[in-house]
Amino acid sequence: MGKIVIEVLYPEVANLYGDLFNMKYLKQCFEVNPEVTVEWIEDELNGKPAFASRDDISVIYMGPMTEYSQELVIEKLLPYKDRINELIEKGQLFLMTGNAMEIFEERIECEDGRKIAGLGIFPLYAKRKMFQRYNSLLLGEMENMKIVGFKSQFTHTYGNNEQEYMIQTLRGDGIHPGSKLEGMRRNNFLGTYLLGPVLVLNPELTKYVMRLCGVESPKLAFEEETVKAYQIRLKEFEDEKTTLQ
Amino acid sequence: MARKNLRFYIAIWMGRLARFAQRMLGMNATYFPGRLAIKLCPDFINRIDKPQTIIAVTGTNGKTTVCNMLIDILTENGYDLMNNRAGSNTNAGIATALLSYATIGGKAKKKLGILEIDERSSKLIYPYINPTYVVCTNLFRDSIQRNAHPEYIADIITSAIPKSTKMILNADDPISSRLAPENERVYFAIDKLESDLEAPQNIINDCRICPKCATKLKYHYSRYHHIGKVYCPACDFTSPTPEYLARVDMESGMMTMELHNKAEQFELVSNSVFNSYNQVTVTAVLTELGLTPSEIQKGFEKLSIVETRYSAAEARGVEIITHMAKGHNPIACSCVFDYAIHEPGKKEVILMPDDDINHLTTSENITWAYDADFEKLNHPDVLRVIVGGIRAEDYRLRLLIAGIPSEKIFTTKDEKDTPGLLELKETDKVFILHQLYKTKAAKVAKEDILKMLGEERTV
Ligand SMILES: [Zn+2]
Repeated sequence: MGKIVIEVLYPEVANLYGDLFNMKYLKQCFEVNPEVTVEWIEDELNGKPAFASRDDISVIYMGPMTEYSQELVIEKLLPYKDRINELIEKGQLFLMTGNAMEIFEERIECEDGRKIAGLGIFPLYAKRKMFQRYNSLLLGEMENMKIVGFKSQFTHTYGNNEQEYMIQTLRGDGIHPGSKLEGMRRNNFLGTYLLGPVLVLNPELTKYVMRLCGVESPKLAFEEETVKAYQIRLKEFEDEKTTLQ
Repeated sequence: MARKNLRFYIAIWMGRLARFAQRMLGMNATYFPGRLAIKLCPDFINRIDKPQTIIAVTGTNGKTTVCNMLIDILTENGYDLMNNRAGSNTNAGIATALLSYATIGGKAKKKLGILEIDERSSKLIYPYINPTYVVCTNLFRDSIQRNAHPEYIADIITSAIPKSTKMILNADDPISSRLAPENERVYFAIDKLESDLEAPQNIINDCRICPKCATKLKYHYSRYHHIGKVYCPACDFTSPTPEYLARVDMESGMMTMELHNKAEQFELVSNSVFNSYNQVTVTAVLTELGLTPSEIQKGFEKLSIVETRYSAAEARGVEIITHMAKGHNPIACSCVFDYAIHEPGKKEVILMPDDDINHLTTSENITWAYDADFEKLNHPDVLRVIVGGIRAEDYRLRLLIAGIPSEKIFTTKDEKDTPGLLELKETDKVFILHQLYKTKAAKVAKEDILKMLGEERTV
């Protein structure tokens, strides 16, 4: 195994809720595997993203951001829409947490009737309600892995993600209340409303991501401790007595 | 202000009756009388008479301390005022305070009011009380479930403040200094300190980019998180020039501020920069109100800051310090970690971070722990970190990711078992950093440690 390249999009704004630890932890994980070196790239809003001209990126990550920042990020990524589509077709690994996934939808609809055009890569749209904060736990399943996580957001996503979802829910809502399908997925583009340190909370998912990056039998940093914390949480999430909100 | 009608009179009488009843039962009237009055008359705050001058104080951190200082110093100088110190800072709390200081006809008994305002209640309060001044201490990231992010809170405040209100703002905070941009305003700030940095080091910085052109901001000085003096390398955006600029000297415990073209000295009442901002804020507000430097200084001298969030004891040369580290508030926790590691000596740190209220029903959201600078505890003087609580294994992992060696980390599900995990060999200080809901558990642990040390002497 050789070099892993982690590209973090716009950490100066897409850094709410501890989400950067998804990549900080992933980096620690790669580094406990023999013969793996990590290159860390942070793209700035007023610069050209690395993926625009490089074909050796292992994972492209972006975390949640403020509503104002969403508009900025859409504006900055719009010139690379074709390139993003091309990378998705090639099987490039993307991971988007929280409202970062909305950037790739057709539009974000605001309460005042304003519609913010997104990149339109997924045939979905978001509705924003700034006075209805939605907080919930989510327990779901993805390729035989049980996924646990937290949501905290002003928006929900609508449209048909039946063929392109990331997680089948077991407890909690998918992309909107009543939906059983969480997030978006096309090839290795993974997007979910789950936020915070999603990979830290889900050791199986972290290994899955590492395998997609080319590490065949990955080891995790602090594997024993991560698995223990995960099992405690999973048990709580599976308990019907645990309320979701 | 709307006309008083029968509904209003019924509301104020019922509210006052409820307040009287609560008092008879020995209860503090905090928000219930106001909530009842608003229920009976939804625009109650609009209809009741208000003091001529209202100073509204808001912000993420320090608003309660600033209000308390303002009330105490103004009272000390003979001002007769109303306030909501006894009650809540939401619309129900404001209504309670207003009806408590009104005649049964709804006339205001006081000419001056000091009101602490919850940021998220802005829209239900500011348009109706029409404050003379709004003071904002700062805006930081707080609980994500409730407050989302500071930009969201800033938008709520800005949209609610009347055009005639004068703003008193923190020039060192590039988020809150931009509140109500059209309004008349003055700024306060603390000048460059020796401890300042060239760039922010904390995990959280909620103002990394220029609000005008999105270029990454640079700092003349960076204090903590987004606090500091910023400028944009690509356009003319910069921190505003403060009318009230304090030069703070932690060593001598003094601050100097130029007032009416004369350098005035004030004694600091706290030993942390974080808390000194409160005193700078208060000095700015009182000067705006027309108090003289000697009246302000006289007030500071009389202050007795009640440090309920802090207590210390000592036995056999080991100091035991309990300090609240507000859960789900990563800024407050980072600040407490910073304080602990900067205290001299070898330390052991006990953490009680669980929010038990959540645990009764749901599984606690711990994402905030990845916004808090647990990395600060990765310090050679920190000999052990002991975590007590249901979520202890989550924090073990957080500490490991922060780079703290596994052999220094100890966990237990039960807070009461934490003292038994202390080493107490070379330890000079034991810090018990606890969530609000763990105040009692922290106190019990402190007593147990004193017993273990076998020699009690409270300082
Ligand atoms: Zn600029």
